[in-house]
Amino acid sequence: MNILICIKQVPDMESKFKINGEGTWYDRADLAWRMNEYDEYAVEQAVRLKEQVKDADLTVLCIGPDQVTEAIKKALAMGCDRGVHITDPYSAKREPIAIATMIAGFAKGKNFDVIFTGMQSQDRGSAQVGVMVAELLGIPAVTTIVGFAYDNGTIQVKRELEGGSKALVTATTPVVLTCQLGLNTPRYPTLPNIMKAKKKELLPLAPDVGGLGPRQETTACAFPEKKGGGLVLEGEIPELADKLIQLLKEKTTVLA
Amino acid sequence: MEFTREIYWNVGHGFTTLAPMYGLLLVAVAVCALGFFKRLKVYRLGQPLDRTDGRGERVKHMLETMLLQTKVFRVPGPGTAHALFFWSFFVLFIGTALIVAQADFTDLLFDIKFLKGTFYKLFSLTLDLAGLVAILMLTGLLVRRYLIRPQGLVTKGDDALMHGFLFAILITGFLIEGARMAITEMHIPQLAAWSPVGWGVATLLAGLDEAGLRTLHVVLWWCHLLLALGFIAVLPFTKFRHIVTTSANAFFADRGPTGKLTTVNLEDENTEKFGANELGDLRWKDIFDADACTLCKRCQDRCPAYATGKPLSPMQVVNQIGEIAFTRPDANLIETVGREAIWACTTCRACQDICPASIEHVGKIIEMRRNLVLMEGEFPGEEVMAAMEQTEVNGNPLGMGYAARGDWAESLGIKPLAEDPEVDLLYFVGCYASFDKRNIAVATSFVRLCQAAGVKVGILGKEEKCCGEPMRKMGNEYLYQTLAMETVEVIKGYGVKKIVTTCPHCFNTLAKDYRDFDFDVEVVPHALFLEQLVADSRLPVGGEEFTCTYHDSCYLGRHNGIYDAPRKLIRSMGGRIAEMAKNRDQAFCCSAGGGRILAEEKLGERINVKRVEMAVATGAGQLLANCPFCLTMFEDGVKGANVEEQLRPRDIAEVLAERLALKNA
Repeated sequence: MNILICIKQVPDMESKFKINGEGTWYDRADLAWRMNEYDEYAVEQAVRLKEQVKDADLTVLCIGPDQVTEAIKKALAMGCDRGVHITDPYSAKREPIAIATMIAGFAKGKNFDVIFTGMQSQDRGSAQVGVMVAELLGIPAVTTIVGFAYDNGTIQVKRELEGGSKALVTATTPVVLTCQLGLNTPRYPTLPNIMKAKKKELLPLAPDVGGLGPRQETTACAFPEKKGGGLVLEGEIPELADKLIQLLKEKTTVLA
Repeated sequence: MEFTREIYWNVGHGFTTLAPMYGLLLVAVAVCALGFFKRLKVYRLGQPLDRTDGRGERVKHMLETMLLQTKVFRVPGPGTAHALFFWSFFVLFIGTALIVAQADFTDLLFDIKFLKGTFYKLFSLTLDLAGLVAILMLTGLLVRRYLIRPQGLVTKGDDALMHGFLFAILITGFLIEGARMAITEMHIPQLAAWSPVGWGVATLLAGLDEAGLRTLHVVLWWCHLLLALGFIAVLPFTKFRHIVTTSANAFFADRGPTGKLTTVNLEDENTEKFGANELGDLRWKDIFDADACTLCKRCQDRCPAYATGKPLSPMQVVNQIGEIAFTRPDANLIETVGREAIWACTTCRACQDICPASIEHVGKIIEMRRNLVLMEGEFPGEEVMAAMEQTEVNGNPLGMGYAARGDWAESLGIKPLAEDPEVDLLYFVGCYASFDKRNIAVATSFVRLCQAAGVKVGILGKEEKCCGEPMRKMGNEYLYQTLAMETVEVIKGYGVKKIVTTCPHCFNTLAKDYRDFDFDVEVVPHALFLEQLVADSRLPVGGEEFTCTYHDSCYLGRHNGIYDAPRKLIRSMGGRIAEMAKNRDQAFCCSAGGGRILAEEKLGERINVKRVEMAVATGAGQLLANCPFCLTMFEDGVKGANVEEQLRPRDIAEVLAERLALKNA
């Protein structure tokens, strides 16, 4: 089985974010970096699939500047077999279709049976790259999966839908699957695997968007405006009711 | 008249006695030697470890613990009984050796007798009293084991056999003496008086005629001999072996630094296995420890996990290793001990500190944790794995953005060394005092105190990372070493001369564990540093007297023996300490050591609640701590025990800073 896992390196969400000089994205200073959470589910599911079918080859692909090799190494330590690094210092500025084009460009003709990726990135959150890759390769995509089972060429996944309902989808290979929280608990790499990962193949590739021109542009980026906080009323119930009525009268027009 | 006695009286001198006696002795010694030789082979199943350095010190330590019973004596009651029994039995052994020396050597070969006159009188009296004390102590221990039956005391067939052997040897000894004295000494009271117990027995036997006494004497003499030789023969096959193994273990004891773990060589590319899940992964000392254990249960009695209903008993872990070593060497260590037991340890060191047999419990548990973490990627819970990942990304287990690490200090006018490296000391803040609101108050107090004393403090700010202690204790040696190497490089880069910590875990790690990374900067815990500032009159403290209780954190206390300085500091700022029943080296852990600060406590009672209840029992309104983990646990514990109104947990630095303000007011 030939499996591709597409991952992204993102800032840790607890970092101190600042807007960059151009005012179009976050500044890269003082950020801690890690593998996109949803991509970790993708890596984990791929490794589990390999453990199940035994005969599988896992390629992990990441686009970005040199520092993203850290994320690739983590995926290799988790159990991927080889890494591909599309060395692109401008990846943060690229729109989803450009990223998808690069991935599809690499995947084309390599007969990947399954392509796992996160359902979205934690920083940009467009949730478009996975489905675009499928479209460009002309294969089906199943998004936001929270359950996965493979049996003799047939894949059964559980999708998370709006309002808490789930859908069961059966698919055959080749297919793109985008992974959602709840799919699995990513493993902690063992030390022997961390050591082995250092010796695994890590292929650097130049970015190639195949003559694709820009279709969209970020004009400005800003923190959400601080709005007034909520108000918690405390006390006995009759007292609370009085306070609430008072507030509704003073601050709103519902009782007018 | 000559005060002495005829040795081999009634038994017969010469070949007919000596030949069977020495023949049987040879057999007994051979059986004993063979038994130990077989065990030696089992010890060798473990990995090599050099425990023969500093031999002079080791021998001295062994003689002290063995002959003076220093460790045994630490628990009054059973410890006292054991020590007195040991000394009396030892005296009896020396006495017997003197008899052998005279009868079979000096007298036989050179006609020299030394057991005579005043020396004989003292000799006889001493041995008589020793025999009496031994019987009394043995009776006391028998009553304790079989009638009182203390909770948790494991009694096996071995124990009955040992009591039987010892009683039989002692009682036959007195009966032999009595039978002999009934014939030879009853008419010489000025001699018999020097064997008071024998005299008493002789009086009881007075009803028998001489022929009966002589038969009784000779039969019992051979019985006594056979029992004594039997005792030698069964040594390696019963718990009697502890006479040899526990003494030897005192020689092989860990010579410190106290609580420093062995650093795994992660650079060696040939190593494919880390930690221990099989017997052969442990070191020979770990197997020997099991043989040195006497099941005295002192470790178990002090284990905070055991005391709160968790499935860990340090004694059991040690003996499970022994059981595997001697009966099923291929068994899986981790499955046998159990994951829940392995993860429950807080590395508080209460077990190891009290152990009279120099057993190293904590290292074994850490080795099994290392195997689980490094080989299986397993943790006690997802929250612990998440904390590990957070530490990899942000350098702290709380998951806070690393760049904000120094934010707490901005308003205090202290700067990171990157901005101003000219400082008197580096304050290694630690994760909790950097990010946790409650502990930031401690860091702030500490900095204010330094400023009041005119000490210029610097921090590493966003360059500081977790020292790696909780990760290391949880078995994540790889992450620990990564953090340690980075921290050592950063600190060395600034040429720091002195470091002060407010976290005993940071202190112990920087001061001991980092030595393996060529780190030798002086590290001082804030309790000592502040005490010194007050002693040097650099911090004027005052205000009214107050009452408090004080908790010895495991890592300042048992790991570093710092008990007096914090107490002195508290007294110097007007505090009266109402001690908890478990204090100093007997202090009960807060639950957060051993990396447990990262884990949820899912089994049994809450350790921190239990400790808080001990503090409440003192009647003091404040519980003073010296450790951010303890403080965090106590803040949680006062809520859990529902005593928020009665007990206020605080760090000593906070109280000192408040007293400083009172003085200035």
